[in-house]
Amino acid sequence: MARIVGGIGSSHAPSIGAAWDKGPQREDRWAPVFDGYLPAKHWVEAQQPDLLVIFYNDHMNRFFFDAYPTIALGVGEVHKQADEGWGKRALPDLRGDPDFAWHLARSLVEQEFDPTICQEMAVDHGILSVLPLFGDAAMTLPVVPIAINVIQHPLPTARRLFRLGAAVRRAIESYPQDKRVLVMGTGGLSHQLHGERYGFVNPDWDNRFMDLLEQEPETLAALPHQDWMERGGTEGVEMIIWLAMRAALGAQVRRVHRNYVAPMTTGLGLLALESLSHAVGEVR
Amino acid sequence: MHIPGTILFTGEQSRRGYLLNRMAMSLTDAANRASFVADQAGYMRGMGLHDDAIDMVSRRDWRGMLDHGGSIYLLIKIAGALGVSLQEVGRHTSGRAEGH
Repeated sequence: MARIVGGIGSSHAPSIGAAWDKGPQREDRWAPVFDGYLPAKHWVEAQQPDLLVIFYNDHMNRFFFDAYPTIALGVGEVHKQADEGWGKRALPDLRGDPDFAWHLARSLVEQEFDPTICQEMAVDHGILSVLPLFGDAAMTLPVVPIAINVIQHPLPTARRLFRLGAAVRRAIESYPQDKRVLVMGTGGLSHQLHGERYGFVNPDWDNRFMDLLEQEPETLAALPHQDWMERGGTEGVEMIIWLAMRAALGAQVRRVHRNYVAPMTTGLGLLALESLSHAVGEVR
Repeated sequence: MHIPGTILFTGEQSRRGYLLNRMAMSLTDAANRASFVADQAGYMRGMGLHDDAIDMVSRRDWRGMLDHGGSIYLLIKIAGALGVSLQEVGRHTSGRAEGH
């Protein structure tokens, strides 16, 4: 039977990938970010996951407003890298896991979630800005991507994503093959890319968010979008994606590692959590 | 919902900016980027943009494009093709002077 070995919450700012790609010429100001990933990388390696389920958002690279999915699930053999408008990075395509992904699709629909099921799902910096930081081996693991609309209102509520994460856990635990599944949620933390409020970041909120995500995720699930955007910036509403990862871990978690770096254009957060729950429990 | 200093990307904005955003989305293709850079106005006309939108792009009026329904995630694709940074676009939409 498949089971969840842990969860990672991470920012996915494209600047992380751009800075990472400089290799030996990496700037010193990025050291607190990259060094901060090392304990999480080592922990993930020790968990020996053989499948990644990643909640993230696409940034107008795979999906356009001609038909914009609220929740999209990638079921293909391969997830190519999307060209975001300036050419591709030197990264391998990601592998998929169609058998598991179709199981997830069936289970989610039975649980009354209705993702758009995508046999082609090119992925963007929502996944690829941070996955390389977990090592070359992580880049070869099968990935099942779940993209969430956090761009075109109306957005799904934080609570909806919390429930989605619990449903994904039930799907994982009902998969008959032995799999060690690591769940990731990416986005945020606070940032605002446009308008008079351009450049807004809120380290106090980012840290409070990571406290609550670990200890009181239900409090976060109750927050309306207005509160998320006031506290974390309009584009910072991406932070609600972490709730899906958190709910997949069940009620009880143990913090393995946490890192936060500001000031950048985006508050950069990282959280690694071990799941201590053996049952999903009730999600309100 | 209202957040000061923010233009929420609502259905109304998405509807208003549809053609501009569709043109920007096309720039995720390298051949389209080359065509756009070679003949910006011609490319935009071919994508169905009206003169006022073409004019805004020509003037690099990022704030105008945002007000017109452009998504910030798509405006930066236009900017990228033209060699303009995300930071420049963001600052322009904020109304603050360049370089701060």
